[in-house]
Amino acid sequence: MHLYLPIAEVSVNAPLLVALGAVVGFISGLFGIGGGFLMTPVLVLMGIPPVVAVASEANHVAASSVSSVIAYSRKRVVDFRMGAVLASGGVVGAVIGVEVFRWLRLIGQADLAVSLSYLVFLGVIGGLMLTESLGAILRRRRGEPPKPRRERRPLLLYALPLKLKFPRSRLYISVIPPILLGVFVGILSAIMGVGGGFILVPAMVYLLRMPAKVVVGTSLFQIVITTGLTSVLQAGRNQTVDIVLATLLLIGGVVGAQLGARASGRFRAEELRALLALLVLLVGLRMGLGLFVTPSDPFVLMTGAGG
Amino acid sequence: MIVAAPPPPAPAAVSAALTETQVRVTSGFRGARIVLYGAVFDPADRPSDVVVIVRGPEQPIRIARKSRVAGLWLNGRPVVFRGAPGFYMAASTRPLGEIAGFGPLRRLGAGLDHLAIAAPLEQRVETRYGVRDMVVSRLGADYLDWRRAVVRLKTEAGLYAADSAGVRFVDKNLFRAQISLPAEAPIGRYEARIILFQDGKPVSIRDRDLVVEKAGLERTLYLFAKQRPWTYGLVSVIVALGAGWAASAAFRRS
Repeated sequence: MHLYLPIAEVSVNAPLLVALGAVVGFISGLFGIGGGFLMTPVLVLMGIPPVVAVASEANHVAASSVSSVIAYSRKRVVDFRMGAVLASGGVVGAVIGVEVFRWLRLIGQADLAVSLSYLVFLGVIGGLMLTESLGAILRRRRGEPPKPRRERRPLLLYALPLKLKFPRSRLYISVIPPILLGVFVGILSAIMGVGGGFILVPAMVYLLRMPAKVVVGTSLFQIVITTGLTSVLQAGRNQTVDIVLATLLLIGGVVGAQLGARASGRFRAEELRALLALLVLLVGLRMGLGLFVTPSDPFVLMTGAGG
Repeated sequence: MIVAAPPPPAPAAVSAALTETQVRVTSGFRGARIVLYGAVFDPADRPSDVVVIVRGPEQPIRIARKSRVAGLWLNGRPVVFRGAPGFYMAASTRPLGEIAGFGPLRRLGAGLDHLAIAAPLEQRVETRYGVRDMVVSRLGADYLDWRRAVVRLKTEAGLYAADSAGVRFVDKNLFRAQISLPAEAPIGRYEARIILFQDGKPVSIRDRDLVVEKAGLERTLYLFAKQRPWTYGLVSVIVALGAGWAASAAFRRS
């Protein structure tokens, strides 16, 4: 069954999009990420103009994330205060990122920026997470005790002013590092068309040293705020949100996210991280591949950017 | 008594009509086929050729060339072609080159080779060889490569087409052509130009309008997004958050 999308102005296979939304929603609920890093490339591959894909995808991410945030908050593993601090930085970053992206499009290097950020960030983060989690799995298999966590957090977290208590995370740290982290993730979100969970989750674990169990819910909570806002901004400024496309994706997405959040209890944390790392690494390499493979046609039409 | 000289033969004329003048793009839209019928009126029955040119609304084209820099394939600076139609089709009874010469075809913009597209941003006026106000293309000798690339990529997308047998005479003086609009065809006003050629010259031209417009729910949503963008954005976010909440509520009960 085909549907013509009013904003994207292309005809798409509706059941396929619902199924796609469900798969990405499941992954989103399972790993506590938005899933944008998976969905955006797939939508572009299906012929949806990149500008519309990025904007409508933000809407879908907001829907599936809210669905899993509610599930996580019932288990009381969402640090709302930390989420709000991260999101305040994320909002500033998103505004900067939108301007940077507009400039990149103007000079025709948006494609390069997108491919490179996917390759670099997904590649590095995926690689690091994979090594770390495989190490943890191996140690457990050999019956060794888990590597003792370094309890001493980076001094910078404490040395900076504006300290705030985060009871859920059992932290008493300066708000400056989380805000800066939020800004950085916000910029990347606008450029890559993602929620930024794949950066937030490891950053919260390794940089802020938050307890692992609150990380996923908190990341999703901040994603809901930033993607919700991005959606409104994109619709208001660029008129690129396709509500039909977003609805198709989120019908599957919210259901998938619920199933994913349920399934997450059945896996060990390090196994989940290893799986996520593998996925992140694959998408990063796939997106970066285009930079190395000789194109079949040296010319490219810049659709959706020529306006 | 003076015998009147035979009057010069009446000029030939062409006439045509589209089976549809309005294409409604609704949620089920997957492209459209429009048939054009026409007739040639020529008392002298001279050999006639018919060319049908359909142009969609203008859409500037941005195109870039990839080149290899330090092992990576990167986009060069994009070039903008102005005046390019978002949809273009040239159908004729015979290959255009056999129907008329370069001049008339170029003037009428008939055929993909004669499509009037230019990249004005890539031109500048300067003094060269002592001649003032010379238009110089920054693309230089590559210009044809770029032009061909635009036509090739648009043709692959189904938006540009040339069919040297697309106009068929189905009966004496009655001809037929078919316009295939893909789902990606731009929304807007199209113009179908029917040209009658005799002896290499255009002798009669008819223009017919075709409108492709969104209808029904597609139109309502599109206008909502364009006219009240902020409300539209808020509604879409509320739908998203509501759907997320509803799903989690439903799953809690089950």
